[in-house]
Amino acid sequence: MSVEGQALAQEAARARPARRRRLEHGRWTPLFFLAPAVVTLLAIGLYPMLFALVTSFRRYNLTRAREGFPFVGFENYGRVLSDQTFWDTLLLTGRFFLTVMPIQVALGLLIALMLHRPGWGFMRSLARVSLVVPLATTYAVVGLLGNLIFNRNFGVANQFLSWFGFAPFDWLGNPSGAFAAIVIMDVWQWTPFCALIFLSGLSMVPVDIEEAARLETKSHWALLRHVQLPYLLPGLTAMLILRSADVLKLFDMIFTMTRGGPGTATELISIYIQRVGFRVFDLGAASAQAILLLLFTILLSRLYIRIFYREIQ
Amino acid sequence: MRLFTHAAVGALALAAAAVCAPAEAQDWSLEKAAEPLKGAEINVVFLDRPGYRAIIQLLPEFEKKTGIKVNYEIVPYESSREKQVLNFSSNGDLTIALVDLVWIGEFAENGWIVPVEKFTSDPAVTDPKLNLDGFFPLLLDAFGSWGGKVYGLPFDNYSGLLFYNQCMLKEAGFDKPPETWQELYETYAPKLTDKAKNQFAFALQSRRGETQSADSFMRVLWPFGGSLLDKEFKSNLLSEESQAGLKFRQDLMQYMPPGIVSYDHAEAVNALAQGQVAMITEWSAFYSTLIDPATSKIVDCLAVAPEPSGPAGRLPALGGFSLAVAAQAPEKEQKASWLFIQWATSEDIARAYVEAGGVSGRKSIYEDADIKAKYKFVEPMVASWQKGVPEFRPRFPAWPAISEIVAEWGTKMMLGEVSTEQGAKEIGTRMEDILAKEGYYDGKKALLQ
Repeated sequence: MSVEGQALAQEAARARPARRRRLEHGRWTPLFFLAPAVVTLLAIGLYPMLFALVTSFRRYNLTRAREGFPFVGFENYGRVLSDQTFWDTLLLTGRFFLTVMPIQVALGLLIALMLHRPGWGFMRSLARVSLVVPLATTYAVVGLLGNLIFNRNFGVANQFLSWFGFAPFDWLGNPSGAFAAIVIMDVWQWTPFCALIFLSGLSMVPVDIEEAARLETKSHWALLRHVQLPYLLPGLTAMLILRSADVLKLFDMIFTMTRGGPGTATELISIYIQRVGFRVFDLGAASAQAILLLLFTILLSRLYIRIFYREIQ
Repeated sequence: MRLFTHAAVGALALAAAAVCAPAEAQDWSLEKAAEPLKGAEINVVFLDRPGYRAIIQLLPEFEKKTGIKVNYEIVPYESSREKQVLNFSSNGDLTIALVDLVWIGEFAENGWIVPVEKFTSDPAVTDPKLNLDGFFPLLLDAFGSWGGKVYGLPFDNYSGLLFYNQCMLKEAGFDKPPETWQELYETYAPKLTDKAKNQFAFALQSRRGETQSADSFMRVLWPFGGSLLDKEFKSNLLSEESQAGLKFRQDLMQYMPPGIVSYDHAEAVNALAQGQVAMITEWSAFYSTLIDPATSKIVDCLAVAPEPSGPAGRLPALGGFSLAVAAQAPEKEQKASWLFIQWATSEDIARAYVEAGGVSGRKSIYEDADIKAKYKFVEPMVASWQKGVPEFRPRFPAWPAISEIVAEWGTKMMLGEVSTEQGAKEIGTRMEDILAKEGYYDGKKALLQ
């Protein structure tokens, strides 16, 4: 480097701190960047929750606003906990979760393993893209689709049964049929989610380890059990947490499909809370139910993390 | 002398007033009344049903005449009450309430709607031809009045009617529709049902929700002499008559399409329109759907009769909506809303309204021979409106909560999960619990329904 060049470089080095100083932020700059997100979260996340919490301690019936909204302590909670329908619907929600989750995990894993195999590049990408379609469909639309699919007279489901010589089945007018129908629609919508999460878990398995294992054994099961499974567990935990929260607040799909009927065959907890909150307008009781549900969700999440979650070494 | 002058002046003034009053009446016009209200905007919730489509078609005329802007939002029936209650309890922007007959008690007792006397006492905004007596008394009473006061004017009016496929009936050897429920069940139903051909005699929309409680459950109580409540507001569902009605519904189910508990209005109307069932009892408002070749295969076979009668007489389902001024609206918008309500339910536009697909609540329009000839539903509907029970469904504020219970257990009864007695018992205890909390049993509240 010439002397001239050195001088220039030194000058540039001297100038750099100056420029850096100009770019330096004030103490409050990060605040301005964070503020929009924080304010939005507070407004649409925290505020309604706190409002619900306060409401749950009040007698709060909108159609009796003239009687005021006095604080009543734990009265709403007492009423909710001694309400048989609340427990029935919670139990049904549990049954629903225990029915859909194993199917989704099993099918999701199967799809993920199939997509993880080498070869068929174009078809694989196509399959991955099409997996997103059910996920991207709005719940309410899934319900409306379900309504058409399971229609007794012209639905695809009965058409399918008729190919195998079965008589048309009355899906939505029959308690177990309606329950099966919402299970099928939920599995349709959420299996891809499980598949994608498993797929990302599988792609995290280091290639050399997987190849070495393949040389060791021909058994797919051994490979899955000893090599791939550890990488799948964090995903499974996330899946369980997200799906439990999701099933507990599953509303739109069922409302548009069966409205909780026939009878109470598909009345999951969220449908019941909506009924109490926006048909009877007993917002105090509905808020207490929602808060209890929140506690329940948090509890379940802790449980999942304790049982399933393992750090990958 | 002075006394005489006073008397003379008084007499003159009286005479002048007497002359002026009719002059004022003749002078009244919508345009003039609206002049001070020009530019006002009024807001209302509409449903996606023929009566609303009809008034929307006529709206430009009103807006042109008055300079008042009518903003409407079309919402599904299922969420229309929720939307309005939230709006009224948060001091929202609605200036008119769309009141289903079962909400009148709730809306009036909460002070969300204004009695019409506030406006009828103001000649500046009230059409001298308003003529409240021109409405069918049953409609004005049931849809618009609570506790002896008129709040709303009947706007979208329904009566339950028997719609039937006369071609199917003729084929089965009947040249007229059944007169009574018993006849429908014993004589008509077996001959009109052919399960192999997926063809059924009757469909009763029974989906859980207001459809189950109002259209299905209550429909079989009244004609059989039953009722939801007795005179003391205790459950009357275990009475012999109520049970007879509910059992009748169970028996009739064998002649209905399977899965009838998942049928809403749309499914029942469609089953008739596609020729799958021979008879349905539905609201008069669905006439326009059934007579439209785009939505119905049985346009030429469609016939309409009053609902069959039961042992207690002909007590068809009664339903409909009135429009009332919302108390939360500012004074100017209240007046503008009143002008709109008056116009929309007036005798003047009744013909245009009916021709656009609406069902007016005015008596005079149905006396016209050409209207009677053109619309087959008119005669049975007018017949149904002569006599009926305004409290077909109780109209007190507790109804929405009770309706939920009736809907749940009514469906369970139909599914055979509980017997009619068990179901009645379950509804009874839950319903009485609600009514006790409302204060009906300790004399805190008048027994109004």
